[in-house]
Amino acid sequence: MVDPIFQSDNYVLARKLLDAAVVRQEAVAANIANAETPGYRRVDVAPDFAVQLKARLESGELSASAGSLKPRIVEDTTARAIRPDGNSVEIEHELLAMNKNAVEHEYLTEIISQNIKQLKMAITGRTV
Amino acid sequence: MTPVGSINPLLTGGSLLNKIDAPLPKLPGVHLGGATAPASGEGFGRMLDGLVATVDAKQQEAQALTQKVLLGDSGQLHQSVIAMQEAGVSFSLMVEVRNKLIESYQELMRMQV
Amino acid sequence: MNLISGIDISASALAAQKTRLDIVAQNIANAQTTRTASGGPYQRQVVSFETELVRSQGSANGSLQSVRVAQVTTDRSPGQQVYNPQHPDASPDGLVTMPNVNLSQEMVDLITASRTYEANLSVVKNARQMAMRTLEIGK
Repeated sequence: MVDPIFQSDNYVLARKLLDAAVVRQEAVAANIANAETPGYRRVDVAPDFAVQLKARLESGELSASAGSLKPRIVEDTTARAIRPDGNSVEIEHELLAMNKNAVEHEYLTEIISQNIKQLKMAITGRTV
Repeated sequence: MTPVGSINPLLTGGSLLNKIDAPLPKLPGVHLGGATAPASGEGFGRMLDGLVATVDAKQQEAQALTQKVLLGDSGQLHQSVIAMQEAGVSFSLMVEVRNKLIESYQELMRMQV
Repeated sequence: MNLISGIDISASALAAQKTRLDIVAQNIANAQTTRTASGGPYQRQVVSFETELVRSQGSANGSLQSVRVAQVTTDRSPGQQVYNPQHPDASPDGLVTMPNVNLSQEMVDLITASRTYEANLSVVKNARQMAMRTLEIGK
């Protein structure tokens, strides 16, 4: 009976994207840690994660198939080498990415939180 | 799951839902227009069964995820929190349904025939 | 319990930068040391970094790497020779070999190491905030 909310598109999307936000935070942590390691290439969440998520949404079977989709960390092939030793990390870029990710994370937790709170309110009849 | 499992026999196996779902007694001179109530075990019984199953599943999922986090297995803190909240909401729904059912039953029993 | 995402990565990085800062401080402190226990002037030391595999996500996926100090090497290039016959460590022809520490180079290193340290610290702070917010879901 509660599943209509827990399987609604936006809720499932938010949960999956939250997975990606957590993984992206780790990727940024790894990049900043290796800002000066010779030859290190920056990593990020695989760009096809968002594409696949959208495809599953449009095919209509999001809640059933979303469980198997996991965000992966791959080398960012579009990043160019900043230093002569091949390191492709720019600290400012990483810090910006981290801040952007933080706001996304906040937004996604808000969506999930609101859904749960509304359900609680509907069930118990109380606004707390 | 002990708390969830204990509600089930109380309500479905027992007499409460049988009484609610039982066909209404035929009174002389009164014609009931609609169909009689469904056979005992269907209707509310099945709904509550479904709820109990959902709550059980969600609580088990929450427990599995929480244990993974506690053992340091996964960095999925958010999934554990969300699973716990979902389990809590489902449980809360089941409790409210139970309360309402019992209230309705008691209200029915109070009715003067 | 890995409750704050990526904290083990940042922890390694902070440790590595701290080691580097220590070495830079040691170089600066010994910029005038003309006599060491092993004889001869102080030779500056350099840290080199390498990646450290923190978590692999399976063969099909990329892996997360942190950083660690690969080794601390001694820079063997000779320091400047200064003419100062009064110096206790002067050679017979009055030349003193100074440590090969270039103060401005060390200062740049110091600032870079501090900046990187601060950046890693802000990553930890951000991750902690995210975790705290996660705990508030549904409340």
